[in-house]
Amino acid sequence: MEATIEVAGLRKRYGSAVALDGMSFTVQPGQVTGFVGPNGAGKSTTMRVILGLDAPDEGRALVAGRPYASLPHPMRYLGSLLDASALQPSRSARNHLRWLAASQGLSAQRVAEVIQQAGLKDVASRKAGGFSLGMRQRLGLAAAMLGDPMILMLDEPFNGLDPEGIVWMREFLRALARQGRALLVSSHLMSELEDTADHLVVVGRGKVVADTSVAALLAAAAGGRVTLRTTAVPEAASVLDRVGATVAASGRDVLTISGLPAERVVTLLTRNAVPFSEVSAQRVTLEQAYLELTSDAIEFRAEPAAVPSEFPGVTP
Amino acid sequence: MTATMDALRAEWLKLRTVSSSPWLMAGVVALTVGVGAAVMAANKCPAGTGCLEDTTKLSLTGTQFGQAVVAILAVLPVCDEYSTGMIRVTLAAIPRRPAVLAAKAAIIGGLALVAGGVAILGSLLAARLVLPGQGAYAADGFRALSLADNSTLRAAAGSVLYLGLVALFSTGLAALIRDSAVTIGVVFGALYLFPIVAAFVANPVWHRRLERYSPMAGLNIQATTGLKDLAVGPWAGLGVLAIWAAVALLAGGLTMALRDA
Amino acid sequence: MTSGSITRDRPGANHPAARNAGAAFRQVVRAEWIKFASVRGWVIGMIVAALLILLFGVFLAGNASIGCGPTLSGAACLPKIPIGPGGEAVTDSFYFARQPLSGNGSLTVRVTSLTTMIAAGGGQASPVGQGPRNPLANMRKGVEPWAKAGIIIAASTRQGSAYAAIMVTASYGVRMQYNYVHDTAGLPGRVSPAAPRWLRLTRNGNVISGYDSADGKHWLLVGTASLAGLPGTVQAGPFATSPIYNKVQPFFGGASIQSGPSQATAVMDDITRNGRWPAASWTGDDIGGRGNTPGTGVGYFRQSGGTMSISGSGDIAPVVPGPGSFYPTTSIEQPLMTIFIGLIAVVVVAAMFFTAEYRRGLIRITLAATPNRACVLAAKAVVAASAAFVAALVASVIAVSLGVSRMHAEGQFVLPVSTLTEVRVLVGTAAMVAVTAVLAVAVGAIMRRSAAAVTTAIVVIVLPFLLSVAVLPANAANWVLRLTPAAGFAVEQSIPNYPQVTSIVSPAGGTYPLSPWAGFGVLCLWVAAALVLATVLLRRRDA
Repeated sequence: MEATIEVAGLRKRYGSAVALDGMSFTVQPGQVTGFVGPNGAGKSTTMRVILGLDAPDEGRALVAGRPYASLPHPMRYLGSLLDASALQPSRSARNHLRWLAASQGLSAQRVAEVIQQAGLKDVASRKAGGFSLGMRQRLGLAAAMLGDPMILMLDEPFNGLDPEGIVWMREFLRALARQGRALLVSSHLMSELEDTADHLVVVGRGKVVADTSVAALLAAAAGGRVTLRTTAVPEAASVLDRVGATVAASGRDVLTISGLPAERVVTLLTRNAVPFSEVSAQRVTLEQAYLELTSDAIEFRAEPAAVPSEFPGVTP
Repeated sequence: MTATMDALRAEWLKLRTVSSSPWLMAGVVALTVGVGAAVMAANKCPAGTGCLEDTTKLSLTGTQFGQAVVAILAVLPVCDEYSTGMIRVTLAAIPRRPAVLAAKAAIIGGLALVAGGVAILGSLLAARLVLPGQGAYAADGFRALSLADNSTLRAAAGSVLYLGLVALFSTGLAALIRDSAVTIGVVFGALYLFPIVAAFVANPVWHRRLERYSPMAGLNIQATTGLKDLAVGPWAGLGVLAIWAAVALLAGGLTMALRDA
Repeated sequence: MTSGSITRDRPGANHPAARNAGAAFRQVVRAEWIKFASVRGWVIGMIVAALLILLFGVFLAGNASIGCGPTLSGAACLPKIPIGPGGEAVTDSFYFARQPLSGNGSLTVRVTSLTTMIAAGGGQASPVGQGPRNPLANMRKGVEPWAKAGIIIAASTRQGSAYAAIMVTASYGVRMQYNYVHDTAGLPGRVSPAAPRWLRLTRNGNVISGYDSADGKHWLLVGTASLAGLPGTVQAGPFATSPIYNKVQPFFGGASIQSGPSQATAVMDDITRNGRWPAASWTGDDIGGRGNTPGTGVGYFRQSGGTMSISGSGDIAPVVPGPGSFYPTTSIEQPLMTIFIGLIAVVVVAAMFFTAEYRRGLIRITLAATPNRACVLAAKAVVAASAAFVAALVASVIAVSLGVSRMHAEGQFVLPVSTLTEVRVLVGTAAMVAVTAVLAVAVGAIMRRSAAAVTTAIVVIVLPFLLSVAVLPANAANWVLRLTPAAGFAVEQSIPNYPQVTSIVSPAGGTYPLSPWAGFGVLCLWVAAALVLATVLLRRRDA
């Protein structure tokens, strides 16, 4: 069995709203694939299509080389956590896992194992309706791990976790990837994935904007941009221009150069005797790189917050 | 006073902006008129003797079905608030819980009266259209149903009130039980249990008790003939239902006030 | 957290359970069962349903009769009803002109006329033992369709003894009947001097054969009856009887029933005996006497020349419950008449069993675990049906056993039925509740909202029942009980609707227009339709 998810050319519309517009990507084993994009970009819809919950208008999604719905005991192939609140509130955590285990032909022993692993031992007999969001995430994760699947698909697993929980979740996901499993982890916050994901599928408006490794994305986004501080702006500009670099003034005596590594800039300036006080390669966070990628793919953007001088219509 | 008006206005807006309410009101009308007309069309007055039956009451048979939809119309706005957690928002806005229930009951009751009014008038109209084809001839002493006739007017107005009271009864139970499915089961059970059990119970004491203390005793208001054979008179029957509704609202109000939302 | 030690085999297409669809389905059923049992409210709901069935059943059993008056109570109240050879309660009242027949032999007659008198004005049958001196004085000519006269071979003159008879009837032609419940049609048409009917019974051991003929030459075998334990000498001869006359007058919004006794008088000649007939002449006997009989209690036979006229009243038939029956009886299913109350609770639980999946999106997890949606629906149906079946069966068994002894103690005659029938009533009722639970599950899957699902399920099954027992006139009610899911209530009926007995079909009286399994079948058809629709919608809709 190949532990992969293959999504090819998914299209789906709800009435006039296009949810998926030719979504295609592949999730490889042995790494965490981050699935990022702004709200409404089609992440959850794609995951529902992968699980066979929603039918696409076009295209297909394969899990381990087959449509999910055709897998016998599918949770032994792919474990998923879509919505941690999707529980019957009056059912206990253990019973929730028990019925899932029964549906996959798994033993009660396995239920005890995942309860132990998810750290739910003390609350397993309590009604799931009383759980905090963090505990529900753990329960959802336990359910996803029940079939010991080689593929995991988690929708916003960091939601509702406290800082300690986030660190635990990261470690957990990395450990699973090290075991050779394929993980698809969605988030609308790139920062959550920064230290977790190896590979990124960035989506916007229902299609893939970038499908790249994290390292490549960082490099591409930084684009070899260099900041130069100099008192001789015109001289520096002409020197650099001559070798084909793009130069832009970004301050009174600051230039931003792209298309030329920092060492080359230093060499060129020194050779041409142009004085400078600082040359630095720009460091880009994953967040910035992501914002750059998706800036034209965000569907709903907040208006800049206006600070009203008073609230009209409200009289004390 | 203004607080009460605000609560009323808020509940009215909430109910008006839920798409199911107009459909359910239309359902009340359609079911009441439809069943009434079907029952009349399924009957023929015996030749010769003519229609000497209580045709007013028969033409309003649909009320027994329409009330089911009225119950849903009343149960949904309350139970949906609990199932979605909206009730916490509502109570944050209007912390006086009895005022919330009172406002809800008033609006729901009002909607039921409107739907009921249209349904009952429609049923009487349908009767005027259908009955002449069923062997009800003026020559046999049959008079077309008319609101100018005092007993028919009482039956019609009383039936509208009956549907309003069913709405209040259901609202109270909904606040008490909170789960829509269970509430609807209990409302239907309470409404239909008495007449069906009464149909099987021959013991005169129990038969009379079942007919007397039933919420559906309120339907005695539809009788225009044979009033002295009724287990409980027309207005008294409506009073029985009013007591059921009052007790349900009281229990619902108390639950709302005392139990965590 | 690391993945724990996994002792199972790795997932893969060749997993043994995966190859077996049946095993896979069992796993899904088990999953759904855990789901059901782990929500306390649902388990309590089923228990409440059982208690409602039980408590209302026992209450009803204690209050279903008016009682038999201020002076009599308890067992003294019980009417004395003969029991037929099959163990069923029977009416056995007729006028019998008899002779003993030893060993094998035969009897042949020609019937030239059959006339009936019915109570004038359709007055009520006179109370037992208090009738006017001559009940016939108040009668007028009329037609009672099941008035009958012919020849009969009976084991004895005791009421309820085994018999076989061939007869002409007022409206149903020639019939061969035996042991009360069996009825076979012979030559059609009404008998008259212009169109006489020859009738013949032959005895050969335990087997009695009935023949009829329109000309006395060409004979047709109508039927044979094998009467176990028939004595060597039997009583045989002409008879006449005519049942309670019921006139149902449907009117707008109801029906009125007029009942009264009727009297049949027949003229016969050409009476031919073969075999050993030791007596010289016919002896007249009013079987059933003048006391506890549904007839007038006045019967006679007169002979002049070769012609005999014979007149009698009563019936030779099984007793059925309900209005229009002479004997006040009840049936074992009486305590189950209020089952609809428990049914409402079952419907609520079963509908929620599906709609709860949609309330918080649990359906996505369920379908991720079992992508085969039809399989999920089927598993839920199986679980809901099983829970409902067990609850209803336990409640019905207790309600009927407590109820029947309570009815008996209060002086109600509970019509006896075979154990097989009792099992059918109890199991059938539980099955009806179970199938209704499936209906609620399917409607839950269709509607996805519990309020709508519960309402729909109750409206399609409980309201038609209410309409037919308490609102609609009998003919409309019978159509409702043929066509709607409420037809399923027919499975409760223990005493069949005998075609040879005019009974007034009314569910309040315990009789339904369809036979038990046909009614159950109608309910099943509705449920099947709902399941198909639910499957189609489940497959088509995004979860």
